Amino acid sequence: MAILTKLQVKWFWCSLLTVLAWAAWAICAKIGSNELSASAMQFFFGIGAAPLALLLLIKQGFKFERDSLGIFYGVANGLLSSVGNLALLAAFRSGGNTAVITTATSLYPMITVGLAIVVLRERLTRRQILGVGFAAAAMMIFSL
Amino acid sequence: MHLPPWFWFSVTVLFAWGVVGLLQKLSTNRLSGESATIWLIVGFLLFLPIVFPGRAALHLSLTATMLGVLSGLLNALGAWALLEAMRSGGKASVVAPFTAMYPMVVVVVAPFILHETITALQGLGVICALTAVALLST
Repeated sequence: MAILTKLQVKWFWCSLLTVLAWAAWAICAKIGSNELSASAMQFFFGIGAAPLALLLLIKQGFKFERDSLGIFYGVANGLLSSVGNLALLAAFRSGGNTAVITTATSLYPMITVGLAIVVLRERLTRRQILGVGFAAAAMMIFSL
Repeated sequence: MHLPPWFWFSVTVLFAWGVVGLLQKLSTNRLSGESATIWLIVGFLLFLPIVFPGRAALHLSLTATMLGVLSGLLNALGAWALLEAMRSGGKASVVAPFTAMYPMVVVVVAPFILHETITALQGLGVICALTAVALLST
């Protein structure tokens, strides 16, 4: 019954859509990077994301929030995401195993958690400490 | 110890996206999720001149080009769906680890679509990494 209830809620299907969309993104990025350079793939990646911004702008009635610091963080987010994506495409292109690279790069919350402690003065939970341990073990295994 | 190029590229991804994780939080503290997504994509677009392929773009494979466009669309769609999941009552402590499991789908489908196999040691690494992602996202 609990499973049936979960299947009826919107957040479950949205989360599932995220999982499937991001898995498909990784596969498309890998296949595309077999033929195109990492920078060319990143160029078309940016073009592909643009229609969603337009759709969201239409949904918002072309009204902008004017928090300049928030905008700065948002744009910096996009620029740094692009740098990361470019490096991911270069990793795919360098011939590494797709499943291993996708999993290894998904460990980025390890860095976020570290930064959140230093910058936001957040505290690490026990589960997160255990997570850092597993992440370190995974990176050591991948480096062998 | 010699480490392959993909490893160093992956470490670069970890650091870049690690900071992105922090910026996401800082931006959504001040903007709605939809606005934060719009400005994220503006950041993608501002990066385009750096990676503009020039005239070479006219001679690129159409299939690979379409895959590049599709990868951007899918990535943005996934980010938007994550935002909607959070907005429609999904707890961050459930939605974040759930969506962080997308590499598991890649691990399962890669042998069929890409004809790649992983060694037992890499498989152990994948299990450790997925466990880590689930624990770190809570």
